[in-house]
Amino acid sequence: MTSTPSLLNRILIGILGFKLLAVGILLVLLATVPPVGTWWHTWSGAAWSGLNQAFDSTRFPGRPESWLWIIMAIALVILIGLMVAWIAQQGKGRSNLLVADLDPGTVPGDVRISGGVAEQALKHALAERPDLAGATVATYDVHGTPALKIRLQPRQGVAPHLLAAEVAALVSALDAVVGKPTPVLIHIGAGARTRFSRAERVR
Amino acid sequence: MSHKLVDEHLAGPGEAAPAPAGRQLDIRRVVRRETHSSRAGVSVVAAVLVMGLAGYGLLESAVHAIGQPAWLIEPQLAAERIVALPAGLPPLLLGAGGAVVAMVGLFFLLNAVLPGRRARHVLNGADSTAVVVDDEVIASALARSARLAANVTPEQVMVVVSQRQVIVNVRPTSGIPLAEQAVLAAVEDELREMSLDPLPEVRVNVSSAGVIGA
Repeated sequence: MTSTPSLLNRILIGILGFKLLAVGILLVLLATVPPVGTWWHTWSGAAWSGLNQAFDSTRFPGRPESWLWIIMAIALVILIGLMVAWIAQQGKGRSNLLVADLDPGTVPGDVRISGGVAEQALKHALAERPDLAGATVATYDVHGTPALKIRLQPRQGVAPHLLAAEVAALVSALDAVVGKPTPVLIHIGAGARTRFSRAERVR
Repeated sequence: MSHKLVDEHLAGPGEAAPAPAGRQLDIRRVVRRETHSSRAGVSVVAAVLVMGLAGYGLLESAVHAIGQPAWLIEPQLAAERIVALPAGLPPLLLGAGGAVVAMVGLFFLLNAVLPGRRARHVLNGADSTAVVVDDEVIASALARSARLAANVTPEQVMVVVSQRQVIVNVRPTSGIPLAEQAVLAAVEDELREMSLDPLPEVRVNVSSAGVIGA
């Protein structure tokens, strides 16, 4: 329901996993297979001398340090910034607005209904049901469209389709009150509260 | 002040306009996200790992750039040790370290590649709203109907729900015959009313040993 970038997550995790796996396998092979050691010496020796040459040719005039170090530091700062931006993208999408629309009446201005209206109304309607161990309602912003997520925790043995139909009736009543249909996701789940509570025997 | 209000008027309908058309598509995407597990936690771990490595590299390269002595190890020395690798370390330690790194890499790689489907089903019955149900809830509802059909106590019924299969295990009360067909019919009726997606197959196992005194 959140706007977590799922494809980007998979790609970046995949790149990191592949690199770590390659390094790990190389280390294991170096430790166990001697021919890999000789190949590694020639390959990495050549790479290291090339790198050394690059550092030698980029020295500050009159000083032993190379300015490649500064470039490396800048690149690492950029990398850290990108990682912070990536973390900031995770789990975003909660919002507080159910409806924002132009008022067609004579009074200038627009109408905004907070998500708290739907959350409080639905929670109150669901609070007294004996077949529920818990219910939470949250408003999300899915690609610019406000949507509701209703998470229900029924007691053991409650038929999920009947519960879903009754909650859907509540949602359509809410739609009539708000004056605009809202996309709703109902998640009927199990948790510690339902697992260790008594079974529902009345229905 | 009035200018600002007018601006918001102009912006308002533009934002709200794509909502009715995109509604169906939205819900399908949302349901897909809800039935597959999120990579957010693993992503945060990966990002923190990369940030730690990059932070250390930044420290050493910055220290080197201003000509100060290194904090842990001189980059020059570290590179030379890496080039000479199988020599400088005991092979057991090197192999074990490599195995640990490879395991961490495999963990991330599998997280990226595997589908990560959660133990949940989609209910098709309600058309105006999307309904996602945990398999545990389905199992307990089916166990209830199986228990009523077989006329046994809750402890004698165990139901396992997976993506494409429902297994109902019933232990009959000793001395009382159990109608297996009735249990199967009751569970299938309940499943049909739920109209799950994907629809699982039902199998009923009646155990040969009965329960005494239930």
